[in-house]
Amino acid sequence: MKTPPKTSPKTPTETPTETLTGMPMGTPSVDVPAPRPPRESVAPPVPAAPPGTFRLATGGLSVLVPLRPLLAGAVLALLLVAVGTVCLAVGDIAVAPLDALRAAVLGSGSPRDLLVVEELRMPRIEAGITVGAALGVAGCLMQTLSGNRLATPDTVGLNNGATAFAVAGIVSSSTSLLPSATALTGAATAAVLTLALSGGAGQRGYRFLVVGLGVGAVFGAVTNLILSRARIDAANAAFAWTVGTLNSRSQTAVTVLEVGLLVCLPLAVVLGRRLNVLRFSDAVATGLGVRVRPLRVAVLLTSVVCAGLAVAVAGPLGMIALAAPEAARRLTGPGPVPVLTSALAGAVFTLLADLIGRTVMAPLEIPVGLVTAVVGGPYLLWLLLTTRTRRTP
Amino acid sequence: MTLRKTLLRGLLPASGVLLVVAVAGLLVGAGDIGPARAAEVVLGGGDADARFTVLELRLPRTVVAIAVGVALGVAGAVLQATARNPLAEPGLLGVSAGASFAVVLAIVLGASATTVAPYVAVLGAAAGCLLALGAARLRGAGDDPVRLVLAGAAFSGLMGAASSVLLLANQRAADEIRFWTVGSVAGRDTDDLLAVLPVLLLGLVVAVAVSPALSALTLGDDVATGLGHRPRRVRAAAVTSVALLVGGATAIAGPVAFVGLVVPFVARALVGPDLRRLLAVSVLLGPAVVLLADVVSRLVVRPYEMPLGVMTALFGAPVLVAVVRSSRLPAL
Repeated sequence: MKTPPKTSPKTPTETPTETLTGMPMGTPSVDVPAPRPPRESVAPPVPAAPPGTFRLATGGLSVLVPLRPLLAGAVLALLLVAVGTVCLAVGDIAVAPLDALRAAVLGSGSPRDLLVVEELRMPRIEAGITVGAALGVAGCLMQTLSGNRLATPDTVGLNNGATAFAVAGIVSSSTSLLPSATALTGAATAAVLTLALSGGAGQRGYRFLVVGLGVGAVFGAVTNLILSRARIDAANAAFAWTVGTLNSRSQTAVTVLEVGLLVCLPLAVVLGRRLNVLRFSDAVATGLGVRVRPLRVAVLLTSVVCAGLAVAVAGPLGMIALAAPEAARRLTGPGPVPVLTSALAGAVFTLLADLIGRTVMAPLEIPVGLVTAVVGGPYLLWLLLTTRTRRTP
Repeated sequence: MTLRKTLLRGLLPASGVLLVVAVAGLLVGAGDIGPARAAEVVLGGGDADARFTVLELRLPRTVVAIAVGVALGVAGAVLQATARNPLAEPGLLGVSAGASFAVVLAIVLGASATTVAPYVAVLGAAAGCLLALGAARLRGAGDDPVRLVLAGAAFSGLMGAASSVLLLANQRAADEIRFWTVGSVAGRDTDDLLAVLPVLLLGLVVAVAVSPALSALTLGDDVATGLGHRPRRVRAAAVTSVALLVGGATAIAGPVAFVGLVVPFVARALVGPDLRRLLAVSVLLGPAVVLLADVVSRLVVRPYEMPLGVMTALFGAPVLVAVVRSSRLPAL
């Protein structure tokens, strides 16, 4: 969108009425079409930002930033920092929250604090944040893609597929065929299977989900089969994969996930802007100039990559991908697909669940996957039983 | 379909398969008593080692598998007729998970496993049943077979996670009842079976008694009332029988999913939708499926064994996909 350089960005405090005065679109001008001005002579009027948004303009480029998502993002980011600090501070060895934060950010403090915070707790929190963010994004994309808020990587069998392949990789070679790679393959396999068997993600209502349930059950059984064949130590190493835990995860997998997020997050944001249109029927979307098939494939791929890499770190961690986009949607209200907000919410939820798992039955540790299942299960049931949706065809 | 046709197309093949897998269950195992040595024992000879393996280990196991199979097959057929949903399956709807969680809870609270397990499990199964069917009556979810299954899966997941948390807290219980989290019939003996047999028999009797009224109910509540049945009572009786059967089966074998889905599915393909014929065929097919899964689970990972529940999931999940894909889904 071209804007003259002299226009200053609108401040967020502007009221909608003020911004509307500059809009020529509101006036009824259908009856007499005005003679078209020559192209280059008159600069097009600057369209004012719609209410509730804020235009960020630099030079010739401008972008509309909706305010409410921005606010929601800020709140979630603050929350993330708060929960992260508590996670750093709480544990067998208590560290004062401020000391913990200082040790984490500045790298200063007593040697004991540094050891506890930097060596023991930081990697875990890093893993939690990245896994949560990846699952949040994957869930958000998957839900929007299938037009069904129950369709998440864990309900359609992606997580189980990734787990089965990752466990197979770990058990078959002790030196580690990189779990990230195998998990990614597994997630992709499961996604393809579910999609092919259910005949597409959208327009089929719950069929997609039940087929996903079946595919997930098969992969879950395969995981158990592999574990029962494995030597006992390899099986023990792989057992953590069956519940979902952040305890002593492989640092390589976390690094791979971070790289994946660096690629996928911007991609997801870009895709998310177009995904708004996919909420309508395919015909409408096509009419609005969106090439539906490539978009669907791209969204699915991004979602699979995020979910697969996250499973490679933490195992089949359920419910995050369901709850995070839901919370994000509540916070941001109607409007664009809340990709970034979902990522933040996912990170917050994962850290919270891990914190609960570490503290509730201390010194015993409940794996984070069990916490999310126990807390998220009733929520999922409630969603299933109270929402009316389209009938299955 | 006449009785003769039912016999020919349903009962004969089912009993043939059952016979074959039952013999296979005696002959085949993960240990080093091969089929030839085991066959000698079956025919009345054999050495001491082989006799012990076959008569003390494999025979009770086979009998237990048969009992579990009958219970789960019949429970599946009854539950599907009650919910009028071809996807209604005790494992999928969370009935087994409810029973399993109840047992875990009882043992964590200090009960000893074998004595109370059947009754606690029946209570848990009844709770799971009521929740599932209650959910089905809620705001149109019952019209949507698929959503009912999703709710059941969510409930199962929740119960499973809750069991795991309880077991984490209590290592003694965890060692005692690890098998309750994945179904298996290995290592059960006839005493275990005798403890649950009354429960299973009672469930079976109720199921048979309620089946005529239940098949009238598939015509709709109004028609059934006109025919002199009382829909509420019939459903209550059906739920009771399912709870008894699944509770008993879970108490002895742990949660074994998908059997109640596969058996009525195959039986319906053989003899059509009539409930009484379905029940008759399910009584034979149920044990056949469980035994087959058990035999395969002994063979695939020799010299180890795989839990039965894993094997039935491998068999059953494709059937689930097939049922969902079939266009006649909401017709039952």
